[in-house]
Amino acid sequence: MNSIDPLTGLLDRFGCLQTAERLTATSSGKGQSFAVIWIDLDRFKKINESFGHPGGDEVIRNLAVRLRRAGGRAEISRMGGDEFVLLVPQCDRAQAEQFARELAGTVKELIHMGNMTLCPTASIGIAIHDREESSLDLLERADRAMCAAKSRGGNGIVCSGDEPIPGRLGITLAREELSIESTLHVALETGGLCLHYQPIILANGEIEAVEALMRCSVNGVNIPPGKFIPVAEKTGLVTRLGEWSLLQGALQARQLQEAGYHTKVAINVSRAQLISPKFTQALHAALICSNVKPELIELELTESLFMDVSDTVQINLRNAIAAGVVLAIDDFGTGYSCLATLKDIPAKKMKLDRAFVTVLPEDPRALAVVRAMTQLGHELGMTVVAEGCERQEEIDILLEAGVDAIQGFFHARPMPEEALLKWLQARNTK
Amino acid sequence: MNDIVRETTKTAVDNLIERSILDIGIPPCPVILERFMVEARQDEPDFKRLASVIGTDVGLSAGLIKTANSSYFGMRQRVRSVNEALVILGLKTASRAVAGLVLSKAFPNVANLERFWDASARIALLSGWLAQHLNIPGLRAEDTYTFGLFRDCGIPVLLGRFPHYGNVLMTANGDVTRGFTEVEGVELPTNHAMVGCLLAQNWWLPEEICLAIRNHHDLAALESIDSKLPVLSRRLIAIAQLAEYIVQQQLGLSLTQEWTKLGAACLRILDMDETDLDALYIEATPIAASAE
Repeated sequence: MNSIDPLTGLLDRFGCLQTAERLTATSSGKGQSFAVIWIDLDRFKKINESFGHPGGDEVIRNLAVRLRRAGGRAEISRMGGDEFVLLVPQCDRAQAEQFARELAGTVKELIHMGNMTLCPTASIGIAIHDREESSLDLLERADRAMCAAKSRGGNGIVCSGDEPIPGRLGITLAREELSIESTLHVALETGGLCLHYQPIILANGEIEAVEALMRCSVNGVNIPPGKFIPVAEKTGLVTRLGEWSLLQGALQARQLQEAGYHTKVAINVSRAQLISPKFTQALHAALICSNVKPELIELELTESLFMDVSDTVQINLRNAIAAGVVLAIDDFGTGYSCLATLKDIPAKKMKLDRAFVTVLPEDPRALAVVRAMTQLGHELGMTVVAEGCERQEEIDILLEAGVDAIQGFFHARPMPEEALLKWLQARNTK
Repeated sequence: MNDIVRETTKTAVDNLIERSILDIGIPPCPVILERFMVEARQDEPDFKRLASVIGTDVGLSAGLIKTANSSYFGMRQRVRSVNEALVILGLKTASRAVAGLVLSKAFPNVANLERFWDASARIALLSGWLAQHLNIPGLRAEDTYTFGLFRDCGIPVLLGRFPHYGNVLMTANGDVTRGFTEVEGVELPTNHAMVGCLLAQNWWLPEEICLAIRNHHDLAALESIDSKLPVLSRRLIAIAQLAEYIVQQQLGLSLTQEWTKLGAACLRILDMDETDLDALYIEATPIAASAE
């Protein structure tokens, strides 16, 4: 796997995690110690402000060259921004402190930028691997030590265990994100990503559509979408996952079409995809490659995306409609709903969020809102679908309230493509 | 007859391979299929030769990579070249599936793809050689071969869907100022680089190869630090562009204007200058010719 930082040619954050994992395993096995040295430049923001991002990049590249020169047998990574991590095999605390002092000296070499000369300094944290410790725990300790050095005014070295202050806020969350990001990369490499399909069923029992839902599992452990999708959004992986879903979902629709089922496939589209000027090209590429009828593809977007007034989003929405695909409003009723703009939304379907369903039939006020939203959807020419339906009594009330179609565990759980075909055959719904 | 062309009972893997190759939507080259069948019909076929014949065809290679990367095999790592795919599927199995498709006449007759088939095979071969010869850090010859082979895989798909795409290609090939995909964008809602990228993602090729396919005509993405295009992708693009230039020079044809537009950037990425090219032509000539 290539995990190289494009700016510096060093390992990137994922490469660092992999290497730390490997060193943790080998060091534990051999009873050897190894050190993590976490370097963060002081006042890098000022450099960016003064010289712009190209200037900042120049400084980072310059430092990467120096660190590589001084790094010896250490594995060097850029963690993003102005943070570097050195993983030093067979290194105890005294050696690590000596090495960190040398690195601090290396960082301080002058950099000439135009007619100015910079003297960069760094805050450095050190952690020595404890035999029982995971690689993530070890990296977290080094990061915390670096933060301690920073909080003392920078230009200094702190060894983990010596720092007087607790870890910075949010570090546990950051660590979990790092771990999920790493898992996502592994899933991409090892085939741990796939689409499952959940049927949406009309009141008369016909299949209205199936929604394609992404699933991620690594070594048999499933990562819930609620965990990996937000991380994919933060790290930019969501565009690749979204484009992959677009084509895979379209290929599935064609396969269903060939098998005699004219069932729409609903595919979720993320904000990152829709704000990209390349979205229209990607959508058409998926339609062309799959050779599916566009009307069999439905794109599910959250309300807020429809309300986005930026030119790119509006052009992408118009182009999607012109391409012949169907648009649906996902999770309706829970986001920022602006009734003034709802009338202009070019969607053909409204999906009521599960939050309204789970409180039925106990909550009469929720039922009132469902009735009103359903009527509103119908008046605007939309099919109304309720998501997250798990009980017969919920379905009875929803259908009685005018909802057109039902999606949820009661009818079917999301299932892999082979299971979907069998499920459709069993229902004989051609 | 041997059991490659005699076997009639299909296994699940045979079916999977056949389905993948047909679903790819890129017809295999008839000349390559003919070459393949001549070898496959031998009493004792040379499997190494069969593998190298399969590896020169875009549609067959893509089908085999897609199959090997499917969840059916549950491999711990995805494959990134046709050779790796053949290790997983087994050469005999793959050969039997390809022979089965040929014998059942499953491939459509298509015209006007000769240039695509020919160029892909030559560029892949020369790219792989250049990666080894230039010894560029972090660049695997197998990756450059894979990229060279699949770089333009969007073209046959678009030719199959848009009757006028051949004319669009001619205009784009001759345009010295506008970017290639920009010219395509005037006539089509997408372009061959985007189509190729989505296909490569679908076959689970590595991210760097997918991004290289997506951006291989994009000068700004090649040159700008802010483009987020990985260094490996830039090097793949530069090597294949250089390979294309050498092939075109060697054939005495200048079929595209891409070197005029991207050549300088490619040489910068490869840390070369124009004077290095003369020596390279001489050494590369027999390699490019061996794709005949």
